[in-house]
Amino acid sequence: MKNLFEKWKTRIPKYSEVHKDIFTSLSQKFGAEGEKKINLGKHFSTNYELYTYAFFLGLYNNEFSPIPDGEKKTDFSHHIQHWGSKTTVSTRKDFTNLQENMFIALLAKTDIDLVALEKGELDEDDAVKALVKTMESYTNGGLILIKEKLEENPNYFLQPTSFLNMILEKEKV
Amino acid sequence: MIIRKIQIDNYLCYYDTNTFELSEGLNIILGENGEGKTKFFESVDWLFNGENRELDMLVSAKKLNETEIGDSFRVRVSMTVEQYGEKSIITKSFLAKKEKANECSTSSFMIEGISENSSGERSQVDGQALLDRIFPFQIRKYSMFKGEAELNIFESDSALANLINLFSEAKHYDKYSEKGAFLREKAEKAVEDSSKLDKKNEALYKKLEGDIIYLEREKAKYLVHLNSTEEEIRKIEGNLQLAESHVSNADALETLNRRIKDIEEKISYLTGRIDENYTTSLFDENWILVNFESFHKEFAEKVSAHSKTRRELQSEFDKQKGIKVGEKKAKAELLNNAIPLPNNIPSKAIMEEMLDAEICKVCNREAKKGSEAYEFMMKRLKTYLESQVTEDNEPDKDEPLFKYDYTNRLDNLSISHEDNLKNLRLIRTIIKELFEFNDDRKKDIEELNEQLEKEKTEREKILGNSSIGAEKLSDVLKNYNAWQRDLKNRNQDQVDYTSKLKSLESELKAKKEEKDKIDTSSANSFLIKTRNILRDIETIFIDTKENKFEEFIEKLQTKSNRFLEIINIDSFTGEISIYKKNRLGKTTVEVQLMQNGRPLYKPNESLETSMYISILFAISELAYETKNEYYPLIFDAPTSSFGDYKTAQFLNLIYETKNQKILVTKNFLDRDKATKKLFIKKDFESVKRDKAFWVKLEEPFNKNDLTTINTQVINL
Repeated sequence: MKNLFEKWKTRIPKYSEVHKDIFTSLSQKFGAEGEKKINLGKHFSTNYELYTYAFFLGLYNNEFSPIPDGEKKTDFSHHIQHWGSKTTVSTRKDFTNLQENMFIALLAKTDIDLVALEKGELDEDDAVKALVKTMESYTNGGLILIKEKLEENPNYFLQPTSFLNMILEKEKV
Repeated sequence: MIIRKIQIDNYLCYYDTNTFELSEGLNIILGENGEGKTKFFESVDWLFNGENRELDMLVSAKKLNETEIGDSFRVRVSMTVEQYGEKSIITKSFLAKKEKANECSTSSFMIEGISENSSGERSQVDGQALLDRIFPFQIRKYSMFKGEAELNIFESDSALANLINLFSEAKHYDKYSEKGAFLREKAEKAVEDSSKLDKKNEALYKKLEGDIIYLEREKAKYLVHLNSTEEEIRKIEGNLQLAESHVSNADALETLNRRIKDIEEKISYLTGRIDENYTTSLFDENWILVNFESFHKEFAEKVSAHSKTRRELQSEFDKQKGIKVGEKKAKAELLNNAIPLPNNIPSKAIMEEMLDAEICKVCNREAKKGSEAYEFMMKRLKTYLESQVTEDNEPDKDEPLFKYDYTNRLDNLSISHEDNLKNLRLIRTIIKELFEFNDDRKKDIEELNEQLEKEKTEREKILGNSSIGAEKLSDVLKNYNAWQRDLKNRNQDQVDYTSKLKSLESELKAKKEEKDKIDTSSANSFLIKTRNILRDIETIFIDTKENKFEEFIEKLQTKSNRFLEIINIDSFTGEISIYKKNRLGKTTVEVQLMQNGRPLYKPNESLETSMYISILFAISELAYETKNEYYPLIFDAPTSSFGDYKTAQFLNLIYETKNQKILVTKNFLDRDKATKKLFIKKDFESVKRDKAFWVKLEEPFNKNDLTTINTQVINL
């Protein structure tokens, strides 16, 4: 394996069980589209959409919050490379570009000794682990921000623009 | 088949023997109300379909009166028919025995048949069987047309469907499709049993079977929903038209309704154009990357810094190792000891372009062929090309400094995303524009809604000027608006159910395919092949049957409309729509008069009559096409809503059709004002016909005494 990106894609990032409620209430586990999604009161078609959203939200707000050691971690057994997979839902677009950008951000934000990596002194798996950890930390930060919003105003997300606004609000960091 | 003669003996007003010698073409029987016209029709109907019940009600009072107590006479209706050159006589009769004054008993009811072959040899046959053979029951049913009150021959659920089955070739496929289904089911079962032997997929297989059963059930449920919704839509549309008929200013109402519909359509179109899937666009349109540029920059800087470090280290490493020292040194000097760029920068294509143009596009100076700058560029290109050739004569036995090359890939990622930055910068604008677009549409919708309210108020005003009483008016108004709403909702339901059914069907198909896949890997391949063949065969039979049925309906509709146009020449016709419906697994065929694609729920009587007559003619024509034989059509007062002029026109038109027609009518008769005597109007002379009779009561008669009643048949 000589490609960090390829290797990183095969991983399943985790989130803290503390945030399980957010996933249940905001996203649809088995995928919903259009009217069904709205009828169920869900905003995100899938769990990984919410995960991606939380990651960027955390990133833009510089909310780097590693999951505390005491908290139980969980995942939704979906490899990053299958996020937004074209085969699942015909009406949606694939996430390849988003995956690459996530990776770009992670590499920028993770302290990896690239020289050591290329020399073979640093294990590739360790580097990928570091990237995933960064991802989990920003996502955790994003989830905390969402939780705060909800606590502040439980109806905040009833507006169709609410999630978009949270991303737009943050001007270029 | 042609009816040559009808003879009526002692049947109600037909005292003794009365004979109608009929012609092949149009036979017109004129008669005033109560003078025997309808009794003629009923006697024929009795012959065709009559029962052996209350026969004493059919006896001629005059005949009974003349008969001595204890004596008896026969009541009889007989028909002489010619078919394929052979003559047959069918007679239905019974014996009436006078018991006392005005009372009789009946006995020995019989249907006799006499068959006469071409050489004139006569033989006694079963009368009912003979009738059914020469004039099949289903056709008989559509040959008799009694006035306007009994048009409902088409309204029975399955009447028309049965008829179509009788005539269309679809019926031939019945036995095959049943057999096909039976065999296919057997084969399916065999494949399933064979698949179940394979334990590997047991659980999945069971689940799929469960899913399929569930989906089939759902599908059936939604079919029921859809059918009842369609039924409701028809009912509501009927109600609306009924309400509209109360309204004096129907034209204005129609215009308004059209305008309201237009506005509603515009609103729904605009609503559809508003795209508020903002959260979805975060992903699908990559809006979530709106603030990403700085991170990309951070990444690019990191990668390029690392790339520089790497080259620095490599250069130092190379120098230290003393490999190609001279060359490196010279290069280093040339670069004033700066770190050399990678060989592939600028790229081969760019180098070639610059050489070709004789310009160094890096420092934007001329580099003429032969100049130092030109030579430099040439050398650089050469170095790059050499670096691409693997030098197997100089294997590098030494351990390299870097075991892996991530830099190149990261570099490529950085460069490929550089182009995307431009798009990222546009996201804010795109979002802003979409917000503006959506806001504009919402404003448009608001304006349209105001307009809609205005039009609706206007409609209420028009409905208010209705011709019915004031107390009923508010009901109509209330209902009218409720119906409009209901109609809109039901239409939406119809769309929803249809799409739900479609998605259920595709889901079902997917599950079945999945199950088939397991079969393919688990079941015996011979069984699968057999099953597939049987499936195909069943599909072919079912499809063919359907197609033949549809074909027939289509034909019937086309022909009916052609007749309708002929009958209603010079006036409004509308269009007959004949359509198949599947109601709870039962196929029915329905008839509806349409105008501009909308059902016409309250056609006037004459239009409705001409519609039914047209269908009868069409059926008769189709009967000819399948049986190669024309059947007579017998009409009782079909044109009573037509008026003399239209009746004459109608008669002249049907005169041209090929069937034998027996038509009973009270048109063309009038009573002299002075003498009170009935006479035939002059107009009748211009009516084309082959034969005409006048049935009238023998005079004088006592209108209070049935025993004085006798209908004369006068040949005209």
